[in-house]
Amino acid sequence: MTAPTVEPVTRLIDQPRVDLYAVAARDPNPIHRETPEAYSGPFGRPVAHGMLVLALVSEVMTNAFGEAWERGGSLKVRWRQPALVPIEVTARATLRSETDGVATYDVSCEDAAGEALLTGTASIRLES
Amino acid sequence: MTAPALAFDSLSRGDAFPAVDLVVTGADVRAYLEATGEPADRWSDRVPPVMLSALMLATLLAQVEIPKGIMHTGHEHESVRAARIGEALRVTVQVTSYSVRRGALMASFDTEARSADGAGDEVIAISRASVLVPPADGTTSATEGNAE
Repeated sequence: MTAPTVEPVTRLIDQPRVDLYAVAARDPNPIHRETPEAYSGPFGRPVAHGMLVLALVSEVMTNAFGEAWERGGSLKVRWRQPALVPIEVTARATLRSETDGVATYDVSCEDAAGEALLTGTASIRLES
Repeated sequence: MTAPALAFDSLSRGDAFPAVDLVVTGADVRAYLEATGEPADRWSDRVPPVMLSALMLATLLAQVEIPKGIMHTGHEHESVRAARIGEALRVTVQVTSYSVRRGALMASFDTEARSADGAGDEVIAISRASVLVPPADGTTSATEGNAE
């Protein structure tokens, strides 16, 4: 199998989406919701969960690799700036290397202005 | 839901939390996909890897008091295979680093999910979450990480 091109995914992350995510991911941190803690916090408003932003990276890899992404796929990322909601996020993965049957992609999530919210790598063993 | 028992600043490197049993239902997966916006049709019988990673992290959040201003700065995840919907899993969490620099507390937590079905003890996924708690005076840059 040759490492495929990974198509980007763009999605609006708004407060209703964040609220749903807080319940689904069992993350009670009030900084993500419309709470006094969020408005008095360092960002002055609610911030999307980092793992919600990261979910878009996993989605683009699943789109490209299907179930193979679940068998030995790995991610290593750092968040670069907070995703202040509402925000339009685009997840990308660009092939960096293909060595010994393992493809490594540079991955990122960007806001609508192209500012990086998250960067890192994703690796996957290419199945024959 | 019971209140977390442990204060974050009482943790130290090497601390291991009691294993937590986890079963992800179909309703759980549908709620997660509704939230993320990912198409649901491909996940009729399996758990998305990053969902499992988030729930592994949630086992930590359920046991430790969340400090004000905590930021999730980095994350690693390796999926050995997808967890099946309804599969009995066992999640363990360990503190792998814990330090204070210029008043900011930095810590990382390794989590591991194993199948608890039958006699197997198979690793399903491993994750590492890195977090930063800024000093109380808020001098840490807001661009150092994303709140989690």
